Amino acid sequence: MDELYLDNIDEYVNDHNKIVTYKWLSLTLGVHVNTAKQMLFHYLDHKRKESSAQLHATYLVSGKFVNNGQTCHKVSVIREEQLEDVKAKMSLIASVHVYSIQKALLKDSGPLYGVDYDAVRDNLKNCSRFSAIRCSSAVPMSSQELQQVKEIQRPPTSEPETKKSVSNIQTAVASKAIKPQKGIMGMFSNKTASKTQNSTKEIKTEEKDSPMVEAPKSKPALKPNSLMSMFENQTAKKTDKTVKEEAPPAAKAAPAAKPAAVQSSTSTSQPQNKLSHKEEKEEATVAKPQKESKSKSKRIQDSDSEEEKMEKKKRRRIKKPEPDSSDEEVIPDSPQKKETKEPSPSPEKQLESVTHSHQENPDKRVRKRRRVLKSKTFVDEEGCIVTEKAYESESYSESEEDFKAPKQAARDPFKGKLHSNGKDEKKSRQKASANTNKSTKQASITGFFQKK
Amino acid sequence: MTTLTRQDINFGQVVADILCEFLEVAIHLILYVREVYPSGIFQKRKKYNVPVQMSCHPELNQYIQDTLHCVKPLIEKNDAEKVVVVIMDKEHHPVERFVFEISQPPLLSIRESKGPLGGSDILLSHVEQLLRAFILKISVCDAILNNNPPGCSFTVLVHTRDVATRNMEKVQVIKDFPWIVADEQEVNMQEPKLIPLKTMTSDILKLWRAVILDRI
Repeated sequence: MDELYLDNIDEYVNDHNKIVTYKWLSLTLGVHVNTAKQMLFHYLDHKRKESSAQLHATYLVSGKFVNNGQTCHKVSVIREEQLEDVKAKMSLIASVHVYSIQKALLKDSGPLYGVDYDAVRDNLKNCSRFSAIRCSSAVPMSSQELQQVKEIQRPPTSEPETKKSVSNIQTAVASKAIKPQKGIMGMFSNKTASKTQNSTKEIKTEEKDSPMVEAPKSKPALKPNSLMSMFENQTAKKTDKTVKEEAPPAAKAAPAAKPAAVQSSTSTSQPQNKLSHKEEKEEATVAKPQKESKSKSKRIQDSDSEEEKMEKKKRRRIKKPEPDSSDEEVIPDSPQKKETKEPSPSPEKQLESVTHSHQENPDKRVRKRRRVLKSKTFVDEEGCIVTEKAYESESYSESEEDFKAPKQAARDPFKGKLHSNGKDEKKSRQKASANTNKSTKQASITGFFQKK
Repeated sequence: MTTLTRQDINFGQVVADILCEFLEVAIHLILYVREVYPSGIFQKRKKYNVPVQMSCHPELNQYIQDTLHCVKPLIEKNDAEKVVVVIMDKEHHPVERFVFEISQPPLLSIRESKGPLGGSDILLSHVEQLLRAFILKISVCDAILNNNPPGCSFTVLVHTRDVATRNMEKVQVIKDFPWIVADEQEVNMQEPKLIPLKTMTSDILKLWRAVILDRI
C-alpha cells in the first residue's frame, strides 16, 4: 500500500473536496484507525513539504489539564494553528494526532461530525471493526434477546408520572433536611475529596499509557469535574463500539457504558422511582444470560460520586434496546471500597475490582456521596488568600427522606444542562447564605427581639 | 407497488415540505458559511441528525420563512424550476449564486407497505441522507470559493415555469410580502463561472445544486 494511499487521500481531499477524518478514512479504506491516523499524518507531512495548495488540518490533543486547581483529563479537537497553544496549556500530553484534513477552513466543529455520521451509519453493525479499543466480552444481543427486552420494557409505564409528582412535593422537605448537615459533612468531605482525587490520578496515569485515546469530540468534554472527564475518556472508547457516534459524547457516551452500574444501585437501594424505566430494563437484564457484565461494570469503580450524573444521563438511553446485558443482580456482600480505588493494570485485575464495586452497592444505601459546590479559602504559597469554588464529594447517610434530595439535585442539571452550573452555584450560595444567617445574623436578631 | 400521481393528495405537499425545510437550512448555512452575516447571530442546531448553523436574528429568520412560505405553493404545483440564493456586493452586483434546481418526476412510485405513504421510512431516511450530504457540501464550499467582499447582502430568486409568476402576483400568499420580477442586473453575471456542487436523485425529487460565480 506504500505510497498509494497518499493518492487516495489526495483524491478525497482535493478532488472531492471532502473532509477526511481519520475515522472516516479508516472505515472507507478498511484500515485500522491507528493506521489511518498515520496515513493522514504522512499525507499532511508530504503536502507541507511540497507547500502546495492550502490545506487545513485539525488535531486531537488529549492530556492532563489543570483548571482552577482541578486536574482533569481533557480531550480536544483543535485547529492546526491552536495546536502549540493547547499543547502548552496541558500539563501532560497523552496523545496528539491528526484528526482531519480538509481544504476548507472549518468555522466550527459541526461538519466534522457530519462527515463521520454517514460513514458510521453505513457500518452500523461493525463500526468498531477497526477501532483500537476492544472488548471481547461485549457481544451484541441477538434479535431474539432484543425482542424479549422490548416486551419486558413495555408493560409498566404508568408509574412514573404519579411517582414524579410525589417526589416533587417531597423534595422541598428533603432539601431542607439536608442543609443542616452541611457543616459537619463538609469536614468529612475534605477527606473524601482528596481520596477520590488520588484515585483519579492513578487511573489517569494508567490511561495515558495507552497510546490512543479515542474520544471523538472535544469541546463537550470540558467539564470541571475531573472524575467526569475521566469517565468520558473511558466511555468514549465505548462509543466506538456502540451504535453511533453521538453528538455530545460527553453527555451520551457515559450512559452507553454505564447504565448497568446505576441500575444496580438504584434498584437495590431505592424503592422509589422516577427511574422505573431503568428498573424495567433491569428486569430485562436479569432474564438474560449474563455474559458481559464485566465489560460494562469496569467503569463502575469510582462511581460513588458519579451517581447523580449517571442517573440523569441514563434517561437518554431508555428507548434504545440495550445492546448487552449484564448481571447487575449483585451479590450483596461485604462492602470493600478500597479495592476499587486501585488502578488495575491488567484486565483481570480490573474485573476483580469490578466485582468489588458491585458488592459495595448495597452499602450505598446507608452511605452515599454527592457532589457539592463549595468555596474554600486558603493561603497559597505566595501568601495570597485564594477562594476557590470546587465540586467536592461529600458523604452523607441516606435516610428515607433525604435520598430524594440528591435525586432532585440530579434532576436539575438534566433539565437545563447549560444552566446546571449556574444553578448549582446559586444553590450553594443560597445554602451558604442561609447558614451564615443562622449562625451570625439570626443570633443578633433574636437577641434584639429578646431585649424587647 | 402502487403509483401515486402528483395529483394525489398530500404528495406534492410532502415534497414541498421537505424541500422548503431543506432550503431553509441551506439558506441559513450559506449565509453563515459565506459570512454574509456575522457569525455571532448564528447558533448550532440539529437538523438531519447533524449540527447545522441557524441564525437567531428574528427579522432575518422571518424573511427567510416568508420567502419560503411563498415558494412552497410553487413547488407543490411543480411550478418552481430553480431557487437561487444570490449574494451581492455593496453595489448590488451579484457575486455568487447558489442555484438549487428542482425537478420532480411526474409519476411517483412508492413501494407499498404499512401506512399511507408506504415504505416512506426507508425513502425518507434515504432522502435525509442525501440532504445531509448537501449540507456537508455547503459547509465545505468555501474551499473552492474566494472570500466575499465586505458588506454583502443576499436575495432569493425563484425561476418559475410558465405563467406561475402571474398567479403569484395575483394571490399574495403572505400579505405585504410581494414578489417582484428580478432585475436584469441581479440575474445576470458578466463572466459567470459554474461550479457544480452536488446532485441528488431520489424517488421523490431531484435536486441539483451549483454555485455560479462572478469573478471579474
